Parts: sequence; structure tokens; C-alpha cells
Amino acid sequence: MNNNDLKYVGKPVPRKDGPLKATGGAQYTVDISLPGMLVGKVLRSPYPHARILNIDTSQAKKLPGVKAVVTSADSLKVKHGFIDTPRYPADQYPIAVDMVRHAGEEIAGVAAIDEDTANEALSLIHVEYERLPAVFDPEEAMKLDAPEIHPNHPKVSDPYKNIGGKIETAFGDIEKAFTGSYLIREDKFYCQIRTHGYMEPQATVASWDHSSKLNVWTSSMGVFLKRARLARTLGLPFGSVRILKTYVGGAFGGKIDLYGHEYIASLLSMKCRLPVKIVYTREEVFKAARHGQPLIVEIKTGVKRDGTILGQQIRTINDSGAYRGSGVVAIFLAWGFAMAPYRIPSMQYEGYSVYTNNLVRAPQRGHGAPKMRFAAESQFDVIAEELGMDPIDFRLKNARNPGDMLPNGDSVKNFGLKECIAKVAEKTDFKAKYEAALKERHSGSTIKRGIGIGTTAYFSGSLVYPNSSTVIVRFNDDASVSVMTGALDIGQGCETVISQIVAEELGVPLNEIHVHAADTETTPVDIGSWISGLTYVTGNAAKKAASHAMKKLLNVAAQELGSEVQELIALDKTIFVGHSPDRKISYGQAIAASIAKNKGDCIIGEGHFRTMKDEVSPPSLSTAKGRWTENYSNYAQVAEVEVDTETGMVRILKATTAHDCGFPVNPVLVEGQIDGQVSMGQGHILSEELRVEDGCVINPSFLEYKMPCALDMVETDYIDVITETYDKEHHYNTKEVGEGYVSGTVASVANAIYNAIGIRVKKTPVHPQDIIDALEKHEHGGKGDLTR
Amino acid sequence: MTRPSKQIISLNVNGDDYELAVRPNRTLLEVLREDLMLTGTKEGCEDGSCGTCTVLLDGAPVRSCMLLAVDVAGRHVVTIEGLASDNELHPVQKAFVEYGAIQCGYCSPGMILTAKALLDTNPNPTEEEIKLAISGNLCRCTGYNKIVSAIKIAGENIAGVSSHE
Repeated sequence: MNNNDLKYVGKPVPRKDGPLKATGGAQYTVDISLPGMLVGKVLRSPYPHARILNIDTSQAKKLPGVKAVVTSADSLKVKHGFIDTPRYPADQYPIAVDMVRHAGEEIAGVAAIDEDTANEALSLIHVEYERLPAVFDPEEAMKLDAPEIHPNHPKVSDPYKNIGGKIETAFGDIEKAFTGSYLIREDKFYCQIRTHGYMEPQATVASWDHSSKLNVWTSSMGVFLKRARLARTLGLPFGSVRILKTYVGGAFGGKIDLYGHEYIASLLSMKCRLPVKIVYTREEVFKAARHGQPLIVEIKTGVKRDGTILGQQIRTINDSGAYRGSGVVAIFLAWGFAMAPYRIPSMQYEGYSVYTNNLVRAPQRGHGAPKMRFAAESQFDVIAEELGMDPIDFRLKNARNPGDMLPNGDSVKNFGLKECIAKVAEKTDFKAKYEAALKERHSGSTIKRGIGIGTTAYFSGSLVYPNSSTVIVRFNDDASVSVMTGALDIGQGCETVISQIVAEELGVPLNEIHVHAADTETTPVDIGSWISGLTYVTGNAAKKAASHAMKKLLNVAAQELGSEVQELIALDKTIFVGHSPDRKISYGQAIAASIAKNKGDCIIGEGHFRTMKDEVSPPSLSTAKGRWTENYSNYAQVAEVEVDTETGMVRILKATTAHDCGFPVNPVLVEGQIDGQVSMGQGHILSEELRVEDGCVINPSFLEYKMPCALDMVETDYIDVITETYDKEHHYNTKEVGEGYVSGTVASVANAIYNAIGIRVKKTPVHPQDIIDALEKHEHGGKGDLTR
Repeated sequence: MTRPSKQIISLNVNGDDYELAVRPNRTLLEVLREDLMLTGTKEGCEDGSCGTCTVLLDGAPVRSCMLLAVDVAGRHVVTIEGLASDNELHPVQKAFVEYGAIQCGYCSPGMILTAKALLDTNPNPTEEEIKLAISGNLCRCTGYNKIVSAIKIAGENIAGVSSHE
């Protein structure tokens, strides 16, 4: 089927929940209010590493208005972890047991009739600590004499006791590659800790009802993962825990895993049998919630004289914080982001995820890609310059072709990277601007312009959990449609995308498609809004469910019209016999006929979809062996910047993105994802940094942590590179669009800064003072790299 | 812990008069959300830095988390719930919906009210004027591009309607 014949898929339709959100009617977790609801608050450790000698809650319990106080003594002491495998067993209690390993760790919870009483109760809990030596730098923590953070925990890399995760993988012959290289570069890059910056703080309402069921509303990225983690840590059957849908005020990776407050709200509610609501203050989000992954990347690359890459050796070090969090995933993914986009015949990779006494890390949009691509793409430009090549030619020479096989067995069957690079270079007049900037570097002007490129390939639904979805499509009597899906719309617009697909398959208008989503009790299992697979995995499940329902409807119509199914044509909710248009039946009549004559069958379609259906298990987190994903998105991004050499200020004038997301199911949502990621990338490279001293966050507000505001807005432009089609007969292939692009911005801006002023950026963020210092060093004959 | 006693204040919210007993330490935001259950106004930072709690006070955008309810006694407040009339979205709301200016939606109420106040005083703002007006409203999802376009289009639509009147 030609995509031009599509009526709903591929169209920039406005999001379905827009009017509700624009009028204040969308109910977020922070808006939930239940009769008798109490205010819950969490007592947190002031110390980064300490033994808890005693917790005295007696005074707090006596305070009038306090309905419940909980500590680990009230818990089952079951550990949880983002990863829980034999090699990497769960390592964190949802409420501290005997030890705290980071400042802000949850020690106790209170539920009281109002906020003042709850806060007063917290002040009446007396905790005796024995402070322990702490370590905050991952490279320090890797030393043999560093304080041990998890003494009783199985070691993955004896005798280095704080290494919580290690991955080693190799292919080709790296020694031979380097021996045969004309040029070898070795560089080290650093990326900071950034917060996700979701506007709705962490929030949970838990209500243990009279039928001994725990009902939970929580600001999250997927309800089924939350149910699994809560049920296990609370010792409840899955069927006794219900997570209900709420609107979610942003997440960006920061609301996936189980958080202590979700467990504590549940425990409090189970104890006092009243609903309990916990909402973080913004300061609490900064000081205690999980943030993104800082990463150190050491990268060594060897090339031939003509620019062909022969080999690459990479070592990454991730500071995972006090618990493993998603650190071991970040170092696995960073490998993938290194090996996927370009042909690298020999590679050796090792990654370390190291325990420190810092806050725990969560996944964050891109999950390793911005850092890995920043390092690799920066070094590409260094190499290209040393070889006398321009950055575009270097990339085109080495980028993968469609159909290449990756070392892990994935085929990049529909890889649009080269096309993205060529098109973005052409549209931005890259080569001319690049050369002009080089000439301008030595002119008298204090304002310098530069242009740079960054690229990536990103997975689109990977095999974890496993990544699958079931969707149910049900016709109502009036031929409107109800869709049951476990997917949770966190702002990306998945309910709209699912509706478009169902509308396309059924020929029912969008406003007659009603999505009932994200309720563990009433919707089928779905992985949720993470791992970048929803449009692909849930979308295909919705497509199958709709086509199943449509088949049933056509069968009934064929019975009623006395024709063959193949002869039927559906149009405007009416089914016609193709060659005699007066023989017809409306959808509503067909549904009624089905109920009347097919034993009450009201026409329900069911669809399942799993990514990587032939793979039994996910890839190994220790060896990276095994397939990763079946659809790689690609993009090439060009940034144009202006650097004021007097003030050190960098302005991003424009970001142009050529993207291969397969095909855009909803182009306006795709553009929205790209714009948002350009803005996040801008924050990453230019302003955002969580400042931490002795494990404590010292800039815990938006006044001190600078996220881009409207005055910083970057002009954006997009180029579609379409490599897939929507086919009515089969499942479709489409690719992620919500995560990967953020890395292109970081890398392209770093390269554009170099093009403008000849300073190589080796750490993020780049503060104006860094630019001034580097320029000064440069003038005095120093190397002029901008590094830590 | 002793608490200050409540004061009786009157407040006009979205055209309705309310008589409320509030403690003097409670913010306008708390009273709107908790006493009047107008939860469309969101809290994002508690220190005036994010703009999600923006409401209109006598027509001007203010951060309701930074104002004590007792200090605005007798005044007129418009929240996001009061913007659409007769089930018809305000042109700013309409443009936000139609032009992709909403993603997670958490900043949208404050952003829309700020934009409405801008267009009330300056129906044909430049892009720079729009950016300046909403520079105190943080949005993490959109990168602001589609919000700025939507406000521009809303202004044109309002001007178009009034020029036809």
C-alpha cells in the first residue's frame, strides 16, 4: 500500500489529550485527592555513608494528627533493583536497613493529617548514626584502598570491591588494527550529572482499600513495572496491587524504577488503612531523586591514510552512585552506541559501573548515547582534521550501509545514516560554512561562527523484560471503538499514535476511538514508555488487534450480505459489496447482527507483538553478546553556533536534523520530540550540571540549575529520510524518535565550537569561563583543549 | 506548634465570588488547589522559578506560589479552568492544541495564561516579545519552538476575529 493512500497514519493530527491538558482538566498524580487522604513525608539521611545505630520514632508517633510512622522494621526487607539477575542481584532496600549509602536515602516515613504535622513528626524522629568514610569519585572508588560501599555483596571484579558492573567485549583484531594504522588518536571525555527536569515532581498516592487491595497512582513511565516492583517488595500477590493511570508531567527516564517514596506511601497506607499522598518538593527532587548518568569515555581510534577506520578501543567509567540503578545498563548501551553507526572492523570495549556514595542514577533520555557520541564524534573531527579531510567526507566514508551486519548479529537492514549525513550537509551548506569559519578564526572579530555535525544510530525497542505488548480493540454498539492498552502516555503522544493506527485499520474517525490506558487491573500488559519501543511494539499490537476486529466485522458483513469477504469494501463506517454499491451494511448493523446471530459476539480484536520474536533472551550485560534490536533509527544533526570570545558565551543559532525514524506515524509529534531533544542537548552541552559536594547536591533549584528557557530557544529545521512504509497487510517497521537525537546536539555543538574558535571540548557542560580560560591557554601556546 | 488563626477573605475566581477562611501563611496556589479544588494550576518549584503556577491576577500573570492568599483578598483571579467559555476553547488554548505546543501538559496552564496576558496587551507580538513574555515559564518537553509559533498564530487569529467584527 502506498503511504499516500493512508488517511490517519502519517498525518500531523493534533494530540487527543490536547484539549484536556489545555483546560486544566488532565489529572496528574499531584492532583489526586481521596476522602480521608493523609499527607506523607519521608525522613532522609543527611549523611552519604553511615551505619544506623538506632531510630527512635516514639515521640513522632505520639504527636496528635500523626496516623502512621514506618521504618525498615515495618518492612519485609526485600531488595529491589533496576537490574535483578544472577550476576547483578538486586542491591537496594526501598527503605534503609541498618545502613545509608547516599545522602537523601529513605530512613522513615510518616503520614499525618496535614503537611505541617507531617513535617513536625519528621523532626521528632531521632536517628543515631555512625558516620563512615565515603568516596565520591568513581576513579577513586576503583582503587584498592577505597572505602567499601557494599561489603557483603557479591563482587564482579575482585579485588576491586566497588566495581558494581563490568562489561567486556571485543571483535576483530585490535592489535593488528592499530599496528596497521596510519594515524592513532587517544582522547578522554567527561560528561556531568544532569537532572531530568520533569516539571511534575515525583508523586504517589497509595490507598489500601477494604478489600485488601493496594491502589496506587504514581507519576511513572509504565504501570506494570511499578506493580511488579511494589508487589515483590511488599510481599503481595500481583493481583492485590493495582496501579492506575494518571497523566504524567514529564519523565525523560527519571520515573521508571521503583522509588522509595512509592514503597513508603504504600506501607503507610497499609498500616493506617487510609490513603496517603507523597509529593516531593523540588528541592527534594534535586537532593534525593535519581538523576542521569555521568560518564567518562576513553577512546582510541586508528585509521588508514584515506580515513577508513580500522579499529577502536574504548573504556567507559560510570559513577553509578550508592546502588546499581541503571549503571550497568548505561555501560552496555554505550557500547552499542559506539559500534552501531559506523563500520569499525576491530573493536575492544570495556565498561565499568562503579559504586560511590553519590545519589543513585536512573536512565536518562539517550541513556549513554549523548556521552558516547560526544566522545566519538569529537574524535572523528580531530582525526579528519589531522588527515586533512572534512567532517562530512570522513563520516560518509565510514558510515554503515543498509544491510550491514553488526558484530552482535543485528542487521541494519534499512539504515538511512549516509542519506541523513549527505542531506543535512547539503541543506546547511556545511562545507562552505565550515571552510569560511576556519578562515574567520584569525580575523579581528570577537564573535566567531562555527558549524559542526553529530550523528547516531539508536535502538528501537530492545529485548528487555521482554519488550512486548497486548492490545484489545472492542467495537461498541454505536460502532465507536474502545482500545485497551497498558501503554502510558507520558507526553510523547502514544495514545494519539495508537488511535491513528486503529483508526486507519478500522476506517473509524479518530474522535470515535476511545483509549483506555495504563491500568494494571483493566488493561493488558505493556512494557511502558521507555526503551524506545512504544510506537513499534505497542503500535503493532494495536494494528493486529484492530485488524483482528475488522476481520470479524467483515465476516459478519459477508454473512449478512451473502457475499465473500474478499468482495467487501469498507468506507465511512459502511461495508459495501464492491461490484454492487447498493448492497451495504453499516458497522452498527453488522455489530448488532454479530451479537444477535454469533452467540453474543460483540466483536473484540486482540493483538500481541513482541520485538525480536525469535530471540529467547536479552543481550548479555557482561559480554554484550546477543542481538540488541531489529530497527535502528539514524540521524545526523548540524549545529551552527556563535561564540563570543570576550565573554565566552556560546549561542546555538540553529540545529538542523536529518532523521530516519522509519516513517513518521505523526509528523508533528516527531518534530516535537526532536525540538525537545535539541533543547535538552543544549542544556547538556552549555548549562546544566548538578553540583555535588561530599555527596550532597548544592544547587537544588531551577534558580541554580540552569535549564534552557524560551530566550535560549534554538531555531530548528528537519529533513525526513523515509526508509520504511506502513503496510496494511503486515506489521510495520518504524524506529525510535524520542531519545537518540539528544546526542546529536551535544556532539554537533562541541564540533561547531571547535570550528569557530579552535578549542576542542572534552567535557560537558561548557561554561563561558571555560571558553575564556581555554582561549587564554591557547594564546600562550598551550594545547587549548577544554577539559576537566 | 501554634498556628496562626484563620482570616476570612473574599476572592473572585473565574467570575465567582468566594468567601474563604484561610491561614495567613497559605499561598494563593494552595488555596486554589486545595480549598477550591482548581487543580489545573500546577506547582513545580515552590520558589517562583518555573512558572507552572501562573494565574492571572486582575488580568496580569503572577506566580501563585509566591503570593499569600490574604494579600490578594478582594481581587480577581483567573485560572486555566476559567479561560474557555461555553465549551469553546480560548484562541490561545486552541492554537496550543492544534500546533503541537503541548506534550506532557504540565507547564501548559501557566504557559497559556502567560500568553493570554501578553496578547491582551500586545495582540501582535514579535517572536522576541513572545520569548521574553514566556521566559519565566519552563517547559522541558517542547524546546519552546511550537509554543512560540502557537502564540503567534493565536495572536493572528484573535486579531483576525476582531478585525472582522
